[in-house]
Parts: sequence; C-alpha cells; structure tokens
Amino acid sequence: MSSAASSSKQPENKASTASKEEETQPHLGVLEEDDEFEEFEVADWDDSQTDLAHLAGAAPGAAKSGGDKLWEDNWDDDDIEDDFSVQLRSELAKKGNDETMQQ
Amino acid sequence: MSSAKFSTFLTQIAESLRGENGPELAYLLKPTSEHGKGLVKEFRNPTKQSLSYYEGTMDSPWDEIAIQYVLVVNHCAKKRAIEAFREHCTLVSLFLRYFSVNSGWTLPALFSILRDLRDLAFDVKGTASMEEAARIISKAFSACVTDRQSSYAESRKWGVYYVVGLILKCYFRVRRISLSKNILRAIDANPDIPPLSAYPRSHQVTYRYYIGMLSFLNEDFAKSEQELTLAFYNCYTSARSNQQRILTYLIPLRILRGHLPSSDLLKRFPVLEDLYTPFIAAIRTGNIKAYDNALVKFERRLVDLNLWLTLERARELCIRGLFRKVWVASQRGTRIPISLFHAALHIAGMEVSQEEAECLVANMIYKGFMRGYVSHEKQMVVVANTNAFPRLADRQTPYVSL
Repeated sequence: MSSAASSSKQPENKASTASKEEETQPHLGVLEEDDEFEEFEVADWDDSQTDLAHLAGAAPGAAKSGGDKLWEDNWDDDDIEDDFSVQLRSELAKKGNDETMQQ
Repeated sequence: MSSAKFSTFLTQIAESLRGENGPELAYLLKPTSEHGKGLVKEFRNPTKQSLSYYEGTMDSPWDEIAIQYVLVVNHCAKKRAIEAFREHCTLVSLFLRYFSVNSGWTLPALFSILRDLRDLAFDVKGTASMEEAARIISKAFSACVTDRQSSYAESRKWGVYYVVGLILKCYFRVRRISLSKNILRAIDANPDIPPLSAYPRSHQVTYRYYIGMLSFLNEDFAKSEQELTLAFYNCYTSARSNQQRILTYLIPLRILRGHLPSSDLLKRFPVLEDLYTPFIAAIRTGNIKAYDNALVKFERRLVDLNLWLTLERARELCIRGLFRKVWVASQRGTRIPISLFHAALHIAGMEVSQEEAECLVANMIYKGFMRGYVSHEKQMVVVANTNAFPRLADRQTPYVSL
C-alpha cells in the first residue's frame, strides 16, 4: 500500500521477461520504461545541491564553450590517427591514386 | 462501543486543526502510520454503520473523515485493494470540502492523501482506478486554483504544481497521455497562478520533467530540450534516479543539437554511459557501422523507451562526421570527387551505389550539415572555402529536419 510496497511490485512483473532478454539485451540496470519519476524526499533545496554549479554562471542550455562543463559543443575531431581513420585514410589515398591515374 | 484509541485519534486531529499543523495532519491521515495499526486491532470488521456512533463527535466533515480513515486502514490490513481505494476516494472528497474553505496550511495533508490515493489506485488491477484517481486529484487542482481569500503566502495556489505533477503521473502510468491536455489548459487559463520559479524546487522539477516528456512524445523537441534542461539543472543531486530519468531523454536531444555529454557527466550515470557511449563514439569518428551496430544492439530497449526514432535520426550526425573525415583526409580541399565519399561510406560499412552516395552528399548540403554544392556532371563535390562543416552546435534549428 505504501509507495515502497507499490514499487516493490514492479520487479515481479518483469522477472519472467528479464531472464529471456538478458542474453540479447545489455543489462541496463534500473533503466526501465515503467520506472516513474520518484517523489522527492525533500520539498526544496539550494543551488549548491543541484548541477547548477557546473554551469559556472552560464545559463542552462549552454555547453562547454559557454561555460557548462557537462556538455561539449566543440568536439569535431581533426585527429585522424584512430584505427577507423587510418583505414579510411589509406583507402582514400588508394582511391585518390586511382582517380589520378584515371585522369 | 466507544473506543479509547479512536477517541485519542479524534483528539489528535482536533489538535492539529486548532494548531493548523499541516504535517501532523498529514501524518494522522496516513494509512501506514502507527496509530492506524492500533485502530485495525480495535475495530473488528468496521462498517460505516457500525462506526456511525461517532458521527457528530467532531465538526463536519472531520467525524466522517476519521471514520473513513478507519475503513481504509482496515481494508489495507486485509489487503482488499479495491475497497481500500474506494473508501480512500471518499476520504479525499470529504477532505476537499474542508480544504476548499481553508487556507494553504492544509497543503501538506492534501499532498499526502493524494499521494496515497495514487498509490492505492496503483494497487488495483486495470486502469480505471488510476483514471478515477486522476479525476479526483483534478478536483483538488480546482480547489487550489480558486483560492481568492487567503493571503499570498497562505494561498492554496501553492499546491497547484504539485497536484498537476501527480495528475500527470497518473496519466503516464496508464498511458492516457492525451488526457493531460485539459489540466495544462486549465493552468494556462489561470494567469494569477504564481510563477513556477516561485514554487519549491521539487514541484518545479517534477512539473518540468512531465512537460518535457509530453513535448518529447508530441515531437516538440525544442520545448522538450528546454524543459528537461531546466529539470536537470534544478534537480536535487541526491535524487539520482530522477536525474538519470531526465538525462535518458535529455542526452539524445542534446546530441541532436551537437552538445555531447562529457565523460564527467556520463561517469556519474553508468547505465546511461553504457547506452550512449557507442553512439557518441560513432558520431565523433563517423563510424556508421558502429552506429548501426549500436542501433541493433539496443533496439528493443530504445523502442521501449520511445527513443529509437530519435537515435535513428541522429544517425545523420554520424554521416556528417564521416564526410567531414573525408574532407580532413583530403587536406581540406574544396574539390572532392563523389567517388571518395562513396568509398568512405563503403569503409564505414554502408553499402550504397555511387548515385546514392551523391544523394547523401546533396542531402547533407541541403540540411546545412556541410556547405557547398554537387556537380553532377563532373561527379564532384565543391566544398565551401570557409566553414565547410559548420559546428553542429551552431545550427539555428537543429530539430527542424526531424
């Protein structure tokens, strides 16, 4: 009856499907569509008890270059040394040579 | 017939009313409180009739509320969910009679009995009781909004957003999300409700979360991102599962805007780190194959969370990343043969014809992901001299092409 009792029901409903799923689906812990937004234990709190501190004075909605350390907005990668990029570059070089030879 | 425990209970209620002690009144009306157990022992199979002896022992409606309380705790103890819910509905309706002619000191008790109403509805099978709970809670909303007597500080209007949060929670639970419209319209129709920012943060964050979710489901992504952003930043950091719940939807919306979550942020939520890191890494490197693998791997979960379409749409950021790599690998030249993009798509695991590759490039240009034009005749992409690949974060309308 209490909210604790109510929420304790949910795992039961899921138990049967969970075992089947585990083989194919990565385990995502508590991330379930039926999870609810929980009742807060306190009614109110200060800025210091929120993530506003990470904004360094910026307005919520900004990213790193706007002062918010939790998000990156300048991440275009010019480093092409990762495996995928190396492969891409060598194929492109080959392709480029082919093109040049054809011309 | 007279019961000592019940008399004490009545006295305690009377005292909390006299002292206008909202939290105490909330405690007294809570079915799980200690005195409830005592009352269960005291009355065997109580009925409205058997308790009618106590009518008139307190000012109306409190004699009836106290009797209803005994019925509720008794049904709860016997695990009769339907009866417990029904009797508690009556208790709430009686309480609203008192509430609507008193000031906001009663709000803690209102919140508490409405929460219990929702929990009791949850315990009844089927969706009808949850919809009934939402209807009763809507009456509480009206009782809050219509306060014209109380002072600003003592207004029942301070209950508005908490109560709306509960109603939305009911509708989300039974997937009758379209029913939310009425209550949201009622908020708009009452301009004298204090600004949301003046309410306790718990009310603000819950309300914004649901508005963000509603906007998300209605594909108003710009509004959703805005509301979820405010919900996240104002959320209590100790309420981790709520933060995680907000971020589950905020992260993909932010990705579409070109704002990738930092590793600091993801580390705090390992479940989200597991889910989103493959997508983010693939976007960064333009690895379409890795992106598609992640879509397949997480498909079931993403569909359940209503997120699959969003991440499927974010796939074009991955194509943009790949094309940018082609440009970087071509020493940022302004003339790049379509065949190079075609080859890059092949390496990235996307098997398409040269015509389709050309089409994908044209589409990227059309959507503003890259600047330039396609010369079909020469099978050449002419890339702009400056700002060939504008930063994703600089796009004015990141959600329009969705």
